[in-house]
Amino acid sequence: MSNSILSVKSLKKRFGGLEAVNVDSFELYEGEITSLIGPNGAGKTTFFDLITRFQSADSGSIFLNEKNVTKLNSYKLARLGMVRTFQLTRVFDRMSVYENMKFAGSSIKNEGFLKSLIQTKTLKQQEDHLNVKIDETLKLLNLIEMKDSYARELSGGQKKLLELGRSLMKNPKILLLDEPLAGVNPKLSEELLEIILNLNSQGINILMVEHNIDAVMKISKRVVVMAEGKIISDGKPDFVRSDQKVIEAYLGSSDD
Amino acid sequence: MNKYFTAFIILVLSFFYIFFSNDSGGGRVFVNLLTFAGIYGLAAIGINVHFGWTGLLNFGHAAFMGIGAYTTVLLIPHSLGREGVVISTGLPLPLAIILGLIASALLGLLLGLPTLRLRGDYLAIVTIAAAEIFRLLVRDFEDLTGGVYGIIQFSDSLQNSRPDFITQFSENYNISSAQLWVGLLTWFSIVFVLIILARLKKSPWGRALRAVREDEDAVRALGKNAVLLKLQSFMLGAAIGGLSGIFLVFNYGTVQASTFVPVLTFYVWAALILGGVGSLGGPALGAVIFWVIIAGTDTISRFLFESPDGQQLAGVRFVIVGLLIMFCMIFKPSGILGDKEELLLDVK
Ligand SMILES: Nc1ncnc2c1ncn2[C@@H]1O[C@H](COP(=O)(O)OP(=O)(O)OP(=O)(O)O)[C@@H](O)[C@H]1O
Ligand SMILES: [Mg+2]
Repeated sequence: MSNSILSVKSLKKRFGGLEAVNVDSFELYEGEITSLIGPNGAGKTTFFDLITRFQSADSGSIFLNEKNVTKLNSYKLARLGMVRTFQLTRVFDRMSVYENMKFAGSSIKNEGFLKSLIQTKTLKQQEDHLNVKIDETLKLLNLIEMKDSYARELSGGQKKLLELGRSLMKNPKILLLDEPLAGVNPKLSEELLEIILNLNSQGINILMVEHNIDAVMKISKRVVVMAEGKIISDGKPDFVRSDQKVIEAYLGSSDD
Repeated sequence: MNKYFTAFIILVLSFFYIFFSNDSGGGRVFVNLLTFAGIYGLAAIGINVHFGWTGLLNFGHAAFMGIGAYTTVLLIPHSLGREGVVISTGLPLPLAIILGLIASALLGLLLGLPTLRLRGDYLAIVTIAAAEIFRLLVRDFEDLTGGVYGIIQFSDSLQNSRPDFITQFSENYNISSAQLWVGLLTWFSIVFVLIILARLKKSPWGRALRAVREDEDAVRALGKNAVLLKLQSFMLGAAIGGLSGIFLVFNYGTVQASTFVPVLTFYVWAALILGGVGSLGGPALGAVIFWVIIAGTDTISRFLFESPDGQQLAGVRFVIVGLLIMFCMIFKPSGILGDKEELLLDVK
């Protein structure tokens, strides 16, 4: 077994009387595509929110590459290479697709107030070098035709793709995808799976929440199942698929 | 119709209006309107950085304007309070102004730090409260601020710098040279501020602010410090507000507890909404239109009351400006220069 890059210990989150997340232990191993599945309301998105620090856990700890990041700000975690997408897509509506991508890729230094005020020549050059990568990524995601459209003009599925594209501009080490295939048409889903596999082979670790079970089983090396806030099963796709607890809680018996 | 053409027509009409609606010296009224328009315009530009660029709701602009003004005025020679205690020494005016702007920005920092982490509405509430607290503090700390008696005789620091030809020109056309000087400086400042803002708007920083306005969480997810960006924007807009406050008190020649009241903020917002949220020049144009309308409402007041007192004037102003904003929001919500896409009253 390879190294654990993300490690979560007894992470808990309650909403009033509801125990949304109660995860004893969770590890993400280097180089793998891991999928997180489970019924609606199982706590998957909340779990994402907790480990990316978009919400604070009630208790527990999170380690990224052995570094304790339990109290770190969400944007700092993203800078450490853990980048997420959202189940409900969040694109910058009143910016063009191109601008969305450029903003994602631009360096934080260049966004400094003083640097922007003084605006040296190199600033522009440093921005220009992003163009190649933007075009590449947009082509990969079939969005190149929409490059100059406002993001709000995109369809729901295209927004999902844009969000993924934006995350890729950050050169993430860990990519957390919350239902990347939701609303994406079958043909493009196939392509997207290829892309995800490809990204993984380039060394990006992927943790993905997805309800498209065929897709999950096809590309995941490991599947983790959540129900009612807890992890109820964890293992290779075949193992999880035939796990009685998973069939009861999520897959349903007709599936096998 | 092209929006710039609309703006141009409105401006031309207002000029005609100003010159022909007054028998008592059109020039004087003209300079008065233009000066106030410049001051409100500058203030509206500050709010535009907050709201138009970043999506921050600031309903306490009067406080930022006030703290800048009081800081500057107290640092230059002035005469204070009921007894008119004369303080004849002070800093050079440019330095005092810079410190005034810094004071405004620091108030922005103070209010922003605890609230900008929270949802947008908190900032709105805190700024409303802060403006009221500021007004009460100014009123009650009479030893420092002169309270309701205020501060007078500080204008020389500015008027000493007035070139002779302005004085000459004013005499020829029977207008107030002091006001003309303040008005000119205000409009120069607007041009200067707009040049800087135009630069910032298309810079990576400006783009980041727009992203914050659209979706703060997405900004965070991309590793950018949204709170810092909001704080910077808040401080910048506050400082611009401070500058307008400084010009406001130099225009009056006095400052007292009643100068920076909540209705000032309301009027500045009105100017911003009329001109167009988000666009660079919109707020200044909106302020010109706003002041032409104010002049118009005073004419209406004279129809309604034989010789309207200050309170009646203010009442009529208030009603008409309110109606106007309503109509503007219904029929042209993006303002006159604004981009339709720009105005979305959603606050993150
Ligand atoms: N902010 C909140 N306040 C109260 N309850 C919440 C909140 N967010 C989530 N919950 C509850 O926590 C539980 C887990 O929600 P979560 O969004 O994590 O589910 P999920 O596994 O992502 O479901 P889905 O597959 O439908 O996306 C749900 O029961 C939900 O109602
Ligand atoms: Mg979810």
